[in-house]
Amino acid sequence: MANALELRNVEKSFGSVIALQGVSIEVEEGAVTCILGDNGAGKSTLIKILSGVHKPSKGEFIVAGQPADYDSPRDALDAGIATVFQDLATIPLMSIWRNFFIGNEITKGWGPFQFLDVATMRAITKQQLLAMGIDLRDVNQQIGTLSGGERQAVAIARAEYFGAKVLILDEPTSALGVRQSGIVLKYLLKAKERGVAVIFITHNPSHAFLVGDRFFLLNRGRLLNRFERSNVQMEELTKAMAGGRDLETLTEEIEAVRARG
Amino acid sequence: MSNTTDERVRRASVFSKILSMPEVGAFLGAIAIFILFTSRDTTGNFAGLGGLAGWSDIASTIGMVGIAVSLLMIAGEFDLSSGVMVGSVGLLIGLLVTEFNMNIWLAIIIGLVFAGAIGFLNGWLVHKTKLPSFIVTLATFFVLKGANLAYTMMVTGAVRVTGVDKAPGYQSAYNIFAYQFIVSPDGGVHSFQIQASVIWWVGFTLLGTWVLTRTKFGNWIYAAGGDANAARNAGVPVARTKIALFVTTALTAGLVGVIDVLRLQGMQAGQGIGYEFFYIIAAAVGGTLLTGGAGSAIGASIGAVIMGMAYIGIPYAQWDSNWTSTFLGLILFTAVMVNTYIGRKARGGKR
Amino acid sequence: MSLKLKVAAIVSVAALALAGCSQTATPTATSANSNIKICVYTHSDHGSFWSVFEKGAKDAAASLGVTLDIQGSNNDAQKQAQTITAGVAAGCQGLATSVPDAGAIKTAVAEYVTKKIPFLTVNSGSDVSASLGAFTHVGQDEMIAGEQAGLKFNALGLKHVLCPIQEAANAGLQARCDGLKKTFKGTTTDFNLDGALADLTKATQTLTAAFQADKTIDGVFALNADVAAKAVLPAEAAAGVTLKVGTVDMSPEALQAIKDGKIEWAIDQQQYAQGWMSVALLYLAITNKNELGGGQPIYTGPGFVTADNVDAVMGLVKAGTR
Repeated sequence: MANALELRNVEKSFGSVIALQGVSIEVEEGAVTCILGDNGAGKSTLIKILSGVHKPSKGEFIVAGQPADYDSPRDALDAGIATVFQDLATIPLMSIWRNFFIGNEITKGWGPFQFLDVATMRAITKQQLLAMGIDLRDVNQQIGTLSGGERQAVAIARAEYFGAKVLILDEPTSALGVRQSGIVLKYLLKAKERGVAVIFITHNPSHAFLVGDRFFLLNRGRLLNRFERSNVQMEELTKAMAGGRDLETLTEEIEAVRARG
Repeated sequence: MSNTTDERVRRASVFSKILSMPEVGAFLGAIAIFILFTSRDTTGNFAGLGGLAGWSDIASTIGMVGIAVSLLMIAGEFDLSSGVMVGSVGLLIGLLVTEFNMNIWLAIIIGLVFAGAIGFLNGWLVHKTKLPSFIVTLATFFVLKGANLAYTMMVTGAVRVTGVDKAPGYQSAYNIFAYQFIVSPDGGVHSFQIQASVIWWVGFTLLGTWVLTRTKFGNWIYAAGGDANAARNAGVPVARTKIALFVTTALTAGLVGVIDVLRLQGMQAGQGIGYEFFYIIAAAVGGTLLTGGAGSAIGASIGAVIMGMAYIGIPYAQWDSNWTSTFLGLILFTAVMVNTYIGRKARGGKR
Repeated sequence: MSLKLKVAAIVSVAALALAGCSQTATPTATSANSNIKICVYTHSDHGSFWSVFEKGAKDAAASLGVTLDIQGSNNDAQKQAQTITAGVAAGCQGLATSVPDAGAIKTAVAEYVTKKIPFLTVNSGSDVSASLGAFTHVGQDEMIAGEQAGLKFNALGLKHVLCPIQEAANAGLQARCDGLKKTFKGTTTDFNLDGALADLTKATQTLTAAFQADKTIDGVFALNADVAAKAVLPAEAAAGVTLKVGTVDMSPEALQAIKDGKIEWAIDQQQYAQGWMSVALLYLAITNKNELGGGQPIYTGPGFVTADNVDAVMGLVKAGTR
């Protein structure tokens, strides 16, 4: 399958701090690509490059075969790259339908007399949320009144509705309970079935293993490892994430301390 | 297609929906104050045209700028130079007209362009320097305050501009901006003056409400104030939105300056100073959050009405007028408390 | 340099330049008297009244060729005291100061007395002038102004005069209303019109309401010419009542109103002369050791401008010297 986007040997530094170095990833259409790493591995910098917030200091960023040069998140959005940030990019005090259509409002009328087509936007929001399993009688509620999982679902539904070709999810399950995580993961898969390239960023190897087709491991700004679903086991993934040998050594040391005490 | 309803999502009743509107608390407050002053009125005029003529005049000039300031506050910024701008534009127009014999319409255009330019400067500086708008516009306030006085003194030798009514074009400008409608319900026995500024104010209220609730730009205002980062990430042009709003506050203040200089046929160098807080009070009483993200234009107008009623009601009740400020302070506190309480209840006790 | 620093640098340079430009010392480099430094520190707010005072002081300094340091504390007694104290070190050879609050400046002026620097009080504080150590007081007593106004209102046969105070807690304004109460035979009502000069349209509406609420009011003692012409008169019209209006200080509109018979009289403090005389008297004290006044106040007012003498005065008001 074709590559929806690629990073080739990308480096990103802020002043004297090198956040990413020598990172190369390929993301296929219609597949789930997982980017794994502990905190501080450079995942958020990576997402910011993919979503247009930053530009790489070195290296190439290719989208659908063409070099990409985004000045703002708006540019990335226009190119079909939708990002659901960890803070969800939802505005708590605004209503659900306003949040759904923020930046993409539907209007009627011409020129300076354009006004919002509120009825249509409310209807579409309700419909799209229903498809995600959330039945709200009132999309005028403030989005802050929804639970974390529902807000995630709204954010994902929003990204998909606006024609994302690449859907980047930044730690979507990290703050959720088991049932809610399940809903989100199911949606990930549905998006993949529709041909969307899903990039799933997480530090939870079990969730990653449930849905991923390809796995990239980031550690301290570098790409440590790369696996395909076909050639990796869950335990290997976990071990690789925890630093492999180091976890074994640590386990031995702790058992030694416990044996003494 | 999964159809599970989340049982934690509460169904919102019509009643609580109404109560969660920011204007409702202010409206109830206005009714309460109206009843209070009507009951204490010694003239019998407060509840009628006499009272209306008085408080609508005061409310109109506070309300117009209050609406613009409210929109800016919803977007998360403050403009402390809005009060002194009224004076700056009025004085500028007065000076142009009396020193250069300029046609007043041209002077008005120049005055408004000046206001827009300062507003743009405010917005641009806030954007570029990332300093709090409170500080940037406070600096603008001091700069303009000094300039108003120094420049007027330098040109006229006095602290006021007078004789604006002798300018070419005065009558037509007066008719548009400062006209006083004489209303006499009993055929001439008693007559009351309703100011043209009231019509402008009502117009601005409608326009402000429409922009805020029914346009893309309005959505962006809420988003920029609710969470500027999230808004930016969602593709909202946050900087442009805020700069446009700074221009709006300056322009409405300029318009009030135009109205005042035409009505007073001149202007004092101290005009408008201190009013920046009245505008913020009107907005806050009307339900606009100081932290941004929520508020309303109608609310700001209601806040202005409350203030107007206080300034008229107290002399009508023959209370000691020294208590006026105290009364306003109590109103401000109570109104914001009531608004917040009602809003919280309606949204289900959200902290 | 980051953008923030650049902007801060530009702003501070501009601010310093502006501050430098606004120095109010009048340099007369070639004059023989320019080494004489006279300091005039008042509670001026540079408004319509004080600006005329300041012009008087500056014109006198220019005529005499002395260096003048003139500062206004904008009704802040603390700040005024600090300026006075700093004046000693700054080389003031003569001091003129107003006394809106004797307690606040007592210690500050004591140093001048100790160092034998000639010092007089001006504009307000005639009753405490001698006890502070000033050799004279130049001005118009606010209380006396009010008393004279009261007599004038008596002559008009009025029963109830309103005294609107456009700046709350201003002792001088309050003194005028108090003076009125002393001589006026009818009722006097003080009225809080705080902030009137920041919004004369609101002041108009408030006064309209007051006139409508109390129909026994038949006179107004306005304490400021703009309040009189731009708030009291329109309020009178809006409320549909007829009042006799007297005011303190002058403006072109107020004088026109006197000419038209809408305002009865304006009290002229002749504050231009207050400023002028302060500088002149100090000059004499410094150069010739003359201390005029005989320990008594030198009154510059109240002068009354009425329809009889208004024409002569009008041109002078426009020029900012009265």
